[in-house]
Amino acid sequence: MPANEKIVLALPKGRILCEVMPLVRYVGIEPESSFENENSRQLRFCTNHPDVDIIRVRSFDIATFVAFGGAQIGIAGSDVLMEFSFPEIYTPLDLRIGHCRLSVAEPMDMIGTDDPMKWSSVRIATKYPELTRRHFAKRGVQAECIKLNGALELAPHLGLCNRIVDLVATGETLKANGLAEVEVISNITSRVAVNRAAWKIETEKIADWVEKFKEAADALAT
Amino acid sequence: MINSSKNSLLPIGFTDTLYPEASNEAHALERIITFFSSNGYQQVNLPLLEFEESLFDGTGVSMTEQTFRLMDPISQKMMGIRADMTPQIARVATTRLRGEPRPLRLCYGGQVLRIKGSQLRSKRQFTQVGAELIGTKSPIADAEVVLIAVSALRDIGVKNISVDLGLPRLAPNLMNECGIKGETAAAMRSALNRKDFSEVCAIASSSGQRAATIFPALMSAAGPVESAIKKLNALKLGDNANLERSHLGEVAELICSSAPDVGLTIDPVEDRSFKYHAGVTFSLYCKGIQGELGSGGRYMAGNGKDVENATGLTLFLDTLIKVIPNRASKMRIFLPYGTPLDKGTELRAEGWITINSIEKEQDPIAEATRLRCDTYLGSKGIEKI
Repeated sequence: MPANEKIVLALPKGRILCEVMPLVRYVGIEPESSFENENSRQLRFCTNHPDVDIIRVRSFDIATFVAFGGAQIGIAGSDVLMEFSFPEIYTPLDLRIGHCRLSVAEPMDMIGTDDPMKWSSVRIATKYPELTRRHFAKRGVQAECIKLNGALELAPHLGLCNRIVDLVATGETLKANGLAEVEVISNITSRVAVNRAAWKIETEKIADWVEKFKEAADALAT
Repeated sequence: MINSSKNSLLPIGFTDTLYPEASNEAHALERIITFFSSNGYQQVNLPLLEFEESLFDGTGVSMTEQTFRLMDPISQKMMGIRADMTPQIARVATTRLRGEPRPLRLCYGGQVLRIKGSQLRSKRQFTQVGAELIGTKSPIADAEVVLIAVSALRDIGVKNISVDLGLPRLAPNLMNECGIKGETAAAMRSALNRKDFSEVCAIASSSGQRAATIFPALMSAAGPVESAIKKLNALKLGDNANLERSHLGEVAELICSSAPDVGLTIDPVEDRSFKYHAGVTFSLYCKGIQGELGSGGRYMAGNGKDVENATGLTLFLDTLIKVIPNRASKMRIFLPYGTPLDKGTELRAEGWITINSIEKEQDPIAEATRLRCDTYLGSKGIEKI
């Protein structure tokens, strides 16, 4: 089968993958054995379906691979999809896994000391500068974002900024670092993302996979 | 990187098109225009710059954010560089050509300039080639425009074409009917464009019984033509929406019967077209290529009481050029120093590209090779290297 006729499925590395794999297996896709090996340098994997390949990439890159048509289908958090808001991506299905929320947090001792109504600008450390800017702009506040890729919780105490915008699952990390969640921007779950041109050109094939994932999500949710 | 200098840096979205791409592009443009002309579309050439007031009149209003502007020092008025050629055609058709018999068929090819490139097509300057059919409401006109787009693409060697038909006014009409307005309407619009089924259901179910049934059903109708039409026909629609639906059905049927081998899909909810579209729209796709090869659809040409029904199509040459086969290039022949001029004329008439020697060369073969010729004119006539 020519490489460009294959469907490439992009899956996120790391934490979410453990929640994603039961769905992938439920729809009948079984990756080759090297997929299980975390230390393998392989990035692209065959599956039991000759026309389906899997790529394993960072969760932030899934949206990009799907938007540019490198992968036809991907599984990505709604945080990443909202951050990029690529016009070339459809998000037809909520898989109801990877539950967490995107929140604003600040040092515990700051809570109640100032009035958000009076803000005209805020400085925020985040992995999501676009989403953060959009969120605050809606309230008429200009967000000056410092883009960090990890260890955001350090930023307020080391004087980079007063607040952070980050994913919160249990809130334990925030607490351990003396921060408290003050506002939920959005509830996050993982979505099936589909490349727009692929949907138009191979409608039936793609719709069929989306339908299978829907059945899997329904079955595993109950 | 020895040759790079600050003089070679171009603004983002602008590129130098070199050989052979420049000649491939010119050739494709000429073929497409010839094809449109032979279908009765008469070619017009319109200016790169117009006064803002005419450029943004009627259909042009949707391009205001994409248009570069400058001031005309002579008239002291603001001018815009065209970002799309359809509004210009609409202007000419409804003013200078308003006395011409309808339906009026016009075609054009030329460069446009945009403030921003899109994600998939980052170019800010590119060639549009298109055709417009003005002064008729008939679904036969919609089908004609789609079919000549498909045939023109096939004529230049594009294979595996698929067409996606849309009805961008349908969802806004239904939202109006269901009383979905303001921010909720914007959120619905965005969810429909992202095919975010759960979000569409959530917004629809909080907007009344009718919305809760119609929007999810409308969204699931998107897909291959047969199932889409069947699902669309099962919906209960108001009078206006019903007319639009039956128009779409007729267009789809005409395309299916004339070009059964084209992949035809229908998407009744998506709206990424320019805001001026009103009626059936379409996008052209091709396997292996990201993004549209072209698009078009129905709109109202002109302004005020001179407004006319029209439909048209635009092809994006920079995307097309990636799928069409390279043109078989002519053979290059090296003519050594002192070759009589007549000989060159003779060879060019036979179809050769001739490269004249300017200075007396030591070794004609080496010189021919250096100038990328694989043939030269030797003492025994044409010789291969």
